[in-house]
Amino acid sequence: MPAPVAIDARRLGQAEHADGLRARNARIAIGAPVIVRIRRSDDGRLQEFRTPYQKAMRVLDALNAIALKDAPDLAFRWFCGSKMCGTCAVRMNGREVLACWEAVEPEMTVEPLRNLPVIRDLVVDRTPYERKVASFEPWLTRPEPYPGFPEPLSHKAIKNASKAIDCISCMSCYSACPVIRLGSLTDFAGPAPLVQLGQTALDPRQDQQQVARALSHSGIFNCVSCYKCEEVCPAHIPIVSGVIEPLKAKAVQLVPQMARHPLAFRAVVARRGRIDPGELILRVQGLRVLAVIPRLVRLLLRGKINPLRTILGSKTPAAGAADRILNKAGHP
Amino acid sequence: MKFAYYPGCSARSTCAELNVATHRVAAKLGLELTPLESATCTGARELRAIDPVKFYALNVRILALAEREGLPLMTICNTCTLNLLDAHAAVCDDADLLREVNGQLRDEGLEYRRTTRISHFLWVLYEDIGEEKLRDLVVKPLTGLTVAAFYGCHITRPPGRYGFVDSRNNVALERLATLLGCEPIDYSGRTECCGFHTAAHDERIAIKLTGQHILSAKENGAKAMVTPCPLCHTVLDSFQKEIEKDLGQKLDVPVLHLPQLVGLALGLSANELNIEKHMVNFGVDI
Repeated sequence: MPAPVAIDARRLGQAEHADGLRARNARIAIGAPVIVRIRRSDDGRLQEFRTPYQKAMRVLDALNAIALKDAPDLAFRWFCGSKMCGTCAVRMNGREVLACWEAVEPEMTVEPLRNLPVIRDLVVDRTPYERKVASFEPWLTRPEPYPGFPEPLSHKAIKNASKAIDCISCMSCYSACPVIRLGSLTDFAGPAPLVQLGQTALDPRQDQQQVARALSHSGIFNCVSCYKCEEVCPAHIPIVSGVIEPLKAKAVQLVPQMARHPLAFRAVVARRGRIDPGELILRVQGLRVLAVIPRLVRLLLRGKINPLRTILGSKTPAAGAADRILNKAGHP
Repeated sequence: MKFAYYPGCSARSTCAELNVATHRVAAKLGLELTPLESATCTGARELRAIDPVKFYALNVRILALAEREGLPLMTICNTCTLNLLDAHAAVCDDADLLREVNGQLRDEGLEYRRTTRISHFLWVLYEDIGEEKLRDLVVKPLTGLTVAAFYGCHITRPPGRYGFVDSRNNVALERLATLLGCEPIDYSGRTECCGFHTAAHDERIAIKLTGQHILSAKENGAKAMVTPCPLCHTVLDSFQKEIEKDLGQKLDVPVLHLPQLVGLALGLSANELNIEKHMVNFGVDI
């Protein structure tokens, strides 16, 4: 194998942007002014404050200092101050953080979370989230009588539910989600409610009918897999791979009519070895494909689709391997 | 410099021009690409969710094919790259999973020994070619081309895979664009999502999300966009007419695949790089 040059291309920009706690803390000296611009709800404008930097200063320390000295009417929530209660999440310089856990930046804009109504300043109304979670019936219901302690439960079987239980309901992921940002365009429940659902739905003891009821109005297949939620989760929950994807697998088993897209995808790969976009779209959209005919014509004119290959069901040189792997032992 | 080459499904169908451009640019860079003829789809987002073990089997098989050739594996699609990296990490982490997956590959005489290095074309440019050599190879600096880099999600997130606290700090594309003579611009969509992965069942999400990104790129002065992912390219370019309709305004922002941008600076013509295959014409004088 060729010897790579000494550079990690996957991390370019980390050093330049002080991406990491130590690098960030090194950018500001004790006593230097921290410039804080806070989005105030009265007039929607950013109000600027300055507060001296102290060692290991958190966003919450800056907010408390400002509220004590300059803005007694500033509204913000916090309770535990130690990454447990999940009430202090805000957006700092365009990114969701826990005020109690995030180091200050030399200059920072602090705004309320997105995708939830603002009550005042940095305080948001959590009702839309709470309603959604309640609609998922997020409690454990055993379909069989309790077998007594210890229940036969392996680490592997409870692995994903166990990760979901780390959620502190801070709403950072809900604010970061680009699909939730689109409002009523989709019925996507959003990452935070799905993580709450995962706590019981991914528990092998849970009543599967209850899981099916919840998933059927979760809009889970509208997740775009962008990992924005994982990026901001202070509890480091693998929201996409450890919660949403296992819930999608549940949906395939319990509510297969929701899963037309993944099931069609699987069928195309199993038969051809690779994706034929024409067949995938036809299988997923059926007659709805008529609505996108203008684009299909444009794609055809540029040689980007091959209807003949789609109609003839041409197999690729990968078809044999896909058949062996995907069709050998049945599928969900 | 030899690589096993995995283009993915998109570069063999709706973005076939990416495959052509990659081969042309690889020849210029001195990269010898060995195709893996029987390599399957990696499963995109769909298979990995609904059938994880078989998803791992498909990906590990691709890694084993490269390993059999004794070559590192070069990809040109973000989602394929992440799938392969995830599969490699999963079998490195879980010996039982590796045994199970290798069991499925035994019929073909394949066994993955976890040695394949996976690298996207963007990383190959930095890590294997190197900036110094690349600078020497630039014969036609793209002076005056203001370009908006669109990373896509799966080359910079999840955080556990790439190590960024904030993926917006990634500068690999901008640094490369500068090296090629372009002027990279800053805009709000750089590391945002194009929405491709739900587009097969509801393209409104992709249209709404990507509309904001192209608009921001245009408003900040981009003459073109560049992306390392053919899936992002499909939304940015092939959906641009529908996006314009949704926004109620003309955008007309051409979108290049990363190898095409590199190829232009290395002296290849737009024609040789199949740039005319795009939906939005690249009417920029270089």
